[in-house]
Amino acid sequence: MGLLEEIKTLGVDVEEGTDRLMGNTALYERMLVKFADMLKETPVSPDFSEEECAEALQNIHALKGAAGNLSIRPLYEAYTEIVNLLRAGEIPRAKDEIRGILPVQEEIAACIRKYGREQF
Amino acid sequence: MEKKTILIVDDVEINRAVLAEIFKDDYDILEAAGGEEALAIINGGEDISAVLLDLLMPGTDGLGVLKDMNATGRIQKIPVFLITASENRDLLLEAYHLGAVDIINKPFYGHFIRHRIKNIIDLYSYQNELESIVSAQVTRLEKMNRSVIATLAALIEFRDCESGEHVRRMSTLTWILMQEVSDRYPEYRLSSAEIDKIGMSAVLHDVGKISIPDQILNKPGKLTAEEFEIMKGHTVKGCEILRKIPDLVDEGTYVYSYDICRHHHERWDGKGYPDHLVGDETSIWAQVAAVADVYDALTSDRVYKKAYSHEDAVQMIFNGECGAFNPKVLEAFRQAEDRILALYQEKQDDEDEATSHIGKTE
Repeated sequence: MGLLEEIKTLGVDVEEGTDRLMGNTALYERMLVKFADMLKETPVSPDFSEEECAEALQNIHALKGAAGNLSIRPLYEAYTEIVNLLRAGEIPRAKDEIRGILPVQEEIAACIRKYGREQF
Repeated sequence: MEKKTILIVDDVEINRAVLAEIFKDDYDILEAAGGEEALAIINGGEDISAVLLDLLMPGTDGLGVLKDMNATGRIQKIPVFLITASENRDLLLEAYHLGAVDIINKPFYGHFIRHRIKNIIDLYSYQNELESIVSAQVTRLEKMNRSVIATLAALIEFRDCESGEHVRRMSTLTWILMQEVSDRYPEYRLSSAEIDKIGMSAVLHDVGKISIPDQILNKPGKLTAEEFEIMKGHTVKGCEILRKIPDLVDEGTYVYSYDICRHHHERWDGKGYPDHLVGDETSIWAQVAAVADVYDALTSDRVYKKAYSHEDAVQMIFNGECGAFNPKVLEAFRQAEDRILALYQEKQDDEDEATSHIGKTE
């Protein structure tokens, strides 16, 4: 099984994602690897203080845009919800959402990493 | 055909790459990872056909880029598309107010965004092309205006040797006073382009003198009542002349010239001529031209009198010895006195230079 087949089982809409990139599958795969890198550089954690809230919002907002463009649906939907909660000042609920999405995020990142480096 | 260039501004590399992929076949792509980098490219002289701009970025954000493009006027020439995942209504509204042409939400579809952006780029190219054609035509028209006005001014000069310098100074003085009035009084505010036109139009205020007989125009002494009536006719005669040339100058110049020509002898209290207009029944530019005309006449040698000093001329105007004027125009005159004196100092210097030249020849 290749990256695209496997990542599809995790809820990523590969058809829609490649369609957004004018059907360029190779670029789509490269962008998935970039996304995994981005997750490493932009860690998502529920352990942020009140002062760090704006930074957390900015990071998750950036991830939301990228996840949306690659049609990584489970993450895009969760990030959208978290951004809305943070904007509404509902910090505890936002942190619960982050805790809930972390295992899914890790699973998707692990899948990309498994194929990513050797292939692209 | 040479490809147009699109600038993609986003701090997330994935988003830049996605957009670059969508547009790379049709456009040359420039990328910037932040607002500062984007502005360096935009203000660096690159010929950019569109900016695809992320809203939320660290450092200078999308709104910061839009504000700078407003300050430099580039927003009028380059369409900016906001590409954003933000749904913050206030931010998006502000972006529209700052001149963003469209807001495209992330995630987006390549095919749709390609068409939307291409349509606007084509529209802007067409508009920019039209603007440059219109601007070339306006320049040509202005040149023609000036040459027609210069021809008429030369005619006045041939008929009345005093008038050549007078019309040029009076035109500049009208321009100075009109600027001051426009700056000080919002009810009389005009654009600088209109003020330039008024200044140019004032050159023709005495064009009707062409039709006044020599013996009256150049009479050294006081005019009889009958002669004065004929002299007063230069306002209406001037309009008759201008009516014969409306197509030779643009409409604005024609309207200002006609109005100043007819009404530069009207007075604030209705005791002027030819129409005995009262107060602001006379347009502000004709009121300004009236003060300029009187001041220049007082401070110049004429066949029937010697020149008064600046101080005496000002006193005569403010005392009402030359008729009543709009107090706001007189206040503007006071405020612009330094600039007026500088203009007349130039005149004095020119005369001194001419005299010294004659002396050396002799």
